[in-house]
Amino acid sequence: MDVQLKLQAREISKAYDNNQVLRRVNFAVHDGEFFSILGSSGCGKTTLLQILIGLLDADDGQIFKDGIDITTFEPARRGMGIVFQNYALFDNMNVFRNVSYALQFHGVETDSATRKANQMLEIVGLKNFASKMPAELSGGQQQRVAIARALALEPDIILFDEPLSALDASTRLDIRRELKNIQRTLGTTMIYVTHDQEEAFALSDRVMILERGIVNQIGSPEEIITAPANDYVQTFVIDNLRTKFDSLRKFLT
Amino acid sequence: MKKFFPVAAILIFVAGVFAPLSSLFMRITPESFAQVMSSPQFSNALWNSISTGLIATIIALTLALTAAWSLERTAIRGKNFFTVIFGVPMLIPSISHSFGLVALFGANGWLTNLFALDVNIYGAIGIVAGSVMYAFPVAFFIFMSVLHCEDGAPYLAAKVLGVPRSRQFLDLTLPYLKRTIISTFFAIFSMIVTDYGVPLMIGGKTLTLSVLMYNKAVAMMDYSTGSVLGMILIVPALIAFLADVLNPAPKQNDFAKNIRLAEKKSGADKIILAFCVILSLLIVAPIATFCVMTFAAKYPFDMSFTLYHVMRTIHRGALDNWLNSLIIALVSSIVGTSFSFALAYFSTRANGLAAKIIHLLSILPMTIPGIALGLGYVIFFHDASIYGTLMILAAVNVMHFFSSPYLMMRNTLEKISANVEAVGKVLGVPRRFIIRDVILPKVRFTLCEMFAYFFVNAMMTISAVSYLAPPAPKPLALMITQFEAQRLMESAAAVSILILLTNLALKIFMTRLQKKLIAR
Repeated sequence: MDVQLKLQAREISKAYDNNQVLRRVNFAVHDGEFFSILGSSGCGKTTLLQILIGLLDADDGQIFKDGIDITTFEPARRGMGIVFQNYALFDNMNVFRNVSYALQFHGVETDSATRKANQMLEIVGLKNFASKMPAELSGGQQQRVAIARALALEPDIILFDEPLSALDASTRLDIRRELKNIQRTLGTTMIYVTHDQEEAFALSDRVMILERGIVNQIGSPEEIITAPANDYVQTFVIDNLRTKFDSLRKFLT
Repeated sequence: MKKFFPVAAILIFVAGVFAPLSSLFMRITPESFAQVMSSPQFSNALWNSISTGLIATIIALTLALTAAWSLERTAIRGKNFFTVIFGVPMLIPSISHSFGLVALFGANGWLTNLFALDVNIYGAIGIVAGSVMYAFPVAFFIFMSVLHCEDGAPYLAAKVLGVPRSRQFLDLTLPYLKRTIISTFFAIFSMIVTDYGVPLMIGGKTLTLSVLMYNKAVAMMDYSTGSVLGMILIVPALIAFLADVLNPAPKQNDFAKNIRLAEKKSGADKIILAFCVILSLLIVAPIATFCVMTFAAKYPFDMSFTLYHVMRTIHRGALDNWLNSLIIALVSSIVGTSFSFALAYFSTRANGLAAKIIHLLSILPMTIPGIALGLGYVIFFHDASIYGTLMILAAVNVMHFFSSPYLMMRNTLEKISANVEAVGKVLGVPRRFIIRDVILPKVRFTLCEMFAYFFVNAMMTISAVSYLAPPAPKPLALMITQFEAQRLMESAAAVSILILLTNLALKIFMTRLQKKLIAR
């Protein structure tokens, strides 16, 4: 099958003062792929995400989308959306306005904006919550609003910065399923940052393992499990997953 | 635009703070410095300022901490009532506090006559008492807010471990408050020492540095000596500022929500309630005396009702000056609130050196006493077209009171995730719309507080404006010193009440507005 490159990061480096956060990071994401960046706290994954969407400038390196160099593009011109861990909803606006708000700045007529916002709310299962304020929603529902807001502008890539970290286990499972459904329905490429091995492996087509700003391995979950690239991948990913699995097996067998 | 904003802000600080202060310092010559230092008047005033300042600070802090602890940690009734009463002294000029004391305990004071008291309120005792009344509410609200934010979890743990309540206070509450007590001590000391309103009215022969500076610079136009004294009066505020900067508040854990302590009834509640009632009476008594004095034919000898004093006060220009004060207060509030919001937004959202410089500049006015800033304005702007207008009074108020509202807004903005702007950037929403549609609605409550802060302070200040105000038009608060000098005490009382009522009306309006905003 012919895979089309959607996004490519070439030799991305970034330092804060004397602290080198990213060291010549290279990777490519395929069109329609669910791609996770997995790493422990402080490994540089959020910095990388912010560089991809243009909220931060890299010290070195380039970013290509559909073959075009977008390194110097403003965030809004990159055709990407973002969902943060803390939702970052506009909490003085109701759910509907949160989703439709940005459309007015892109020349979308009011009728079309209304249709689009309703459509997105339907996709995330919040059609009946349109008039609610964010404070009236659960954490999971707030995160769904953030996803609908990101989807409303029809970006072809959505970036997720640890979007489920603040949610309880059962809501996490629900939203995981929904994210996969959205990806299948809309064909949106998704880049997902997480420190949770299980989450990355359950959701992703491919996973990139980052350690202190260096890419350790990129591959499908199966490839990583069967052939870990080094000791770090073995310990951080496979041993951790095995520990979780072993502790669960006691109750399941 | 990104570069223009910090440059413009820095220029405003240069024109509004640094240039006037520099002109003040440039007036100081080695000779004038040596002359001031060697004068017996100076050493006497220095000793009086330090001794009365220290005693008043210790009393004000003790009362404020006890009152705040009483309202935050016990189950006594009437907490809202006491909070309002304890805050009332913040709505009148400092000079009115000592004025109230004179009306009660002075040579012809009501209590002096009633109980045939043999007290001499004029002097150090009066300065201490007036300064305590003036500074108490400021310290009270600082302690209230810090105690309100304290995590209850350690107290629950201590209770489970069987630690007695008195030891909880000594081993948990006091160490938690240590930083606040230190920084509030310096702030209150500086506030008392640089104020001239209280000692001018009630100091008698006890001369303080601030009154000496006022006499030299305002009455005798001796700017050289005034400048030396102004520089010396900056020292306590500078120490307060350094105490705060060198002793930063520890970062709170933002992942854990604080547990609120349950208020529990205890046997000591009656004693605490009695303390709050007595304190309220002490606060209300001087203010109540203004009212009586304003409407009594000849206080305290003939207490029959009359509007004569009110009419005389109006005839002497009180209403015109009240309008002047309203204009000054409104302009100061609108300009000050907008400017401090803009700078707080910039310093919390921008990175790098420019943001740090703006932050430093914004908190620096805290270190400059109003009387020093006012004299600096007189020297620097003397030939400018703005001199002698109401606008220069509004300008000096904005700069003088800038730091506190700036910090209020900065504190609020720090709680709003910067991801909101990041989302706006990604969604292609221009920043000005994110500010208008998302940030401003979120900070409206704080904007109201900032507006009220500028308004109330501009309405009642007599420090910086006393040097700058032309004979006419002048702000209302300065009429108190004028009437006091003319021994028209009833008119001075009427002016104090007018200021109190105006500030009270603004506070009530703002509280209602804030309640509506919360309800929304």
